[in-house]
Amino acid sequence: MKYNRAVFDGNIGFSSVIDEKFKTNSLVIRFITELSADTAADNAVAFGILSDTSSEYRTISELNEKLSMLYGASLSSSAVKRGDLQILGVRASWLSNRYAIDGEDITGEMLDIVCGCLFSPNAADGKFDEEAFRITKRDLLDKIESEINNKRGYALARAAEVAFSGEPAGHSCYGTKETAEKVTPGSAYKAYKRILEQAQVEIFYIAPEENPEVEKRLREQFAGLERSSKNNTFDSPSPLKSEPERVSEEFDVKQSKMVLAFKTESDDKPAVKLLSTVFGETPVSKLFMNVREKLSLCYYCASRTAGPKRALFVDCGVEKDNIGKAEAEILHQLDEIRNGNISDEELSSAVLSIENALRAVGDTPSSYAAWYFERFCENDMITPQEQFEIYKAVTKERIVAAAKSLKLDSVYLMLNKEVQE
Amino acid sequence: MENKILTSPRTGDSCIHVKHKSGLDIYICEMKGFSSVEALFGTKYGSINTMFKTSEDKEYTTVPEGIAHFLEHKLFENEDCDVFELYAKTGASANAFTSFEKTCYLFSCSKNYQESLKILLDFVQKPYFTKASVDKEQGIIGQEIKMTNDNPDWRVFFNLLRSLYHNHPVKIDIAGTVESIAEIDAELLYKCYGTFYNLNNMVLAIAGNVSADEVLAICDEYLKPCEDKGLETVFPDEPDTIVRSEVREAQPVGTPIFNIGYKCVPCMGRERLRKSMAASLAVGIISDASSEMYQRLLNEGLINSSFGTEIFSGDGYFSVIFSGESSAPEKVRDAVAAEINRVKNEGFGEKEFQRNKKSMYGSLIRELNNVEAVANLMINSHMDGVGPYDAIEVLSEMTSADCLEFIRTELFDDKLAMSVVEGTV
Repeated sequence: MKYNRAVFDGNIGFSSVIDEKFKTNSLVIRFITELSADTAADNAVAFGILSDTSSEYRTISELNEKLSMLYGASLSSSAVKRGDLQILGVRASWLSNRYAIDGEDITGEMLDIVCGCLFSPNAADGKFDEEAFRITKRDLLDKIESEINNKRGYALARAAEVAFSGEPAGHSCYGTKETAEKVTPGSAYKAYKRILEQAQVEIFYIAPEENPEVEKRLREQFAGLERSSKNNTFDSPSPLKSEPERVSEEFDVKQSKMVLAFKTESDDKPAVKLLSTVFGETPVSKLFMNVREKLSLCYYCASRTAGPKRALFVDCGVEKDNIGKAEAEILHQLDEIRNGNISDEELSSAVLSIENALRAVGDTPSSYAAWYFERFCENDMITPQEQFEIYKAVTKERIVAAAKSLKLDSVYLMLNKEVQE
Repeated sequence: MENKILTSPRTGDSCIHVKHKSGLDIYICEMKGFSSVEALFGTKYGSINTMFKTSEDKEYTTVPEGIAHFLEHKLFENEDCDVFELYAKTGASANAFTSFEKTCYLFSCSKNYQESLKILLDFVQKPYFTKASVDKEQGIIGQEIKMTNDNPDWRVFFNLLRSLYHNHPVKIDIAGTVESIAEIDAELLYKCYGTFYNLNNMVLAIAGNVSADEVLAICDEYLKPCEDKGLETVFPDEPDTIVRSEVREAQPVGTPIFNIGYKCVPCMGRERLRKSMAASLAVGIISDASSEMYQRLLNEGLINSSFGTEIFSGDGYFSVIFSGESSAPEKVRDAVAAEINRVKNEGFGEKEFQRNKKSMYGSLIRELNNVEAVANLMINSHMDGVGPYDAIEVLSEMTSADCLEFIRTELFDDKLAMSVVEGTV
């Protein structure tokens, strides 16, 4: 594997990973911008249009016709949240030229398509094309309304809203129904121009063979813009509420959901990660072994960290009548860790599980892109092996200290309407 | 033992197939340059196998719905410990799943794969069920059932299957119901285990950073020879008609979710692969994102980007499913049916066919790019009665006439059902 990072003028990073084992080429372009209730929906609509059409391919079917001809190449966009930031991404993936039956230059054609979509969008007179805009806006509205379809995901999103209320991270990266309704072809185009000219950009190209044309072409395209971009702050610890806030909502569901949001002031991120792993990230974690296996209260009960916000979430699906019992057991298991009741086996299995995940970095193109993007955000360009050594050095005492620093911030409950009294 | 090297003529990828002396079929793919390992140990035993017998039984046994899935959960408990505790010592990430036709136990790891493989082979061959452990699992699976009942995608799909199939057990929920799993006891679990967890009915697939010699040495040590007991599974007669043309359910969802399904004639083995591919290409030409119909329905606001298709087939069932979100699902159904009927009369262009064929070729190559996908490809293709690289060859032989024939002979208005889950206020 060969890794190289170049920096283009205008605060743009270009990382290339050449790994001959792959059969595909992947290009991931991430635009990093502040997450704001006012712009989230405009940004999301703009990026939706960018990956669906361009000035050359004016409709979704025209673009997809071309992608099909290129052996089912894919082109998509995304809007995700990382702490207080909105990460808008365009991702393309295609077969390496060596698999082209008819000898096409798939990479060259895909580069044309990606550059066309990003730099020559389906727009005129400062507005996106009305038809493409209408389809994408409705798609975003449907996506926002359909968040409730995934009950676990919805409960976690609502818990984040409650925990980070008043902070950018408390907003959805798609915006709300109300803000999405207000997006116009002109406002989405303005958002596109603003992001292109002001957002910090990180590009990742992962392929089996080198192709200098990719870097050259993207460097030229970005050089044609008048950019003024500032560096973002990736860490934004969330302040702890003076009293834990409890929010419950009723739905016509069979199973209730509970999400506990904790916050910490600890800067010891490796210890917090180990704490979360021992607490609830594996099938031998304290939550799995006790809340699920011993007490049979839940099918899932797990923890996860929200590193940039210094937060940790525990979520479970549970009978409404057992919510109190489940919460008590979750807090009891956290107390166990606070009291130092972590066996050598629990610690070593947590370390092994993390090592297992780190050693697999590089087995898929997306894992390379995710790894190097995370290193960029953390401003710490280390290898997975070096990262593992950092985790391995975490002692039980540091985990106990991290656990003691965790404070309950908020509780979100999705309650079964039928069993409500 | 019989060893065979299987090679894809198109990509040069290869794997080893071993018919082990224990009766087990083993697939090994050494993938140069990859760090991780994915292993699946599976039995041809899924939620549809509710009626069976071996040559030792006089009568067929009928078991409660959801028992294959229940068994999957219970196998993770050994007599002296929980299997996850064993995996915790190797760092592997372990799991299992039950589908309509199979139950698989799996792990992925990037270190100590030999130790994890020993754990996998050992625990799956060592059942241990007690009344107390069965009782405990009822609570956990009860919560899993409630969780899936709150999943509208799951509900809309099973409601469709119940509208297409009168008797075939594909219509029952994989995990069963809270009531059906209450009938399960240790004795029944042993009966099902003894019947289906015979190595002659099982497959091991392992891919990634492995050595075939090391894998086979571990298999020699850990696999206990099994006598083939002549397992027979039967299904009730299934009429070729559908049960009902429309079903609706209320759930908290955003835009209503729909599944539109055509009931087709089932088949097995290579014929099923061929037919699935013809069906997939045909519905792709009609409705994928490059089609005229897709763009038209988008323009009319009848679908969004969630629209997609699936060829859903197995032992005794075959259907073509269109799914997505729409505020007017009946209009989508009518448009799909009208387009299919138009194509029946007018056909489609060779250009559209070639485009979709190229796209499918790309997706088959991409599958070989990933350790997990290769392990799954090997086990799935074996269970489907074909080789792992057969799909690329079958695709190369496919013609537009094959696709048109599928549309003309399998997709009929009176075999069409629609399931909708729409929001509650």
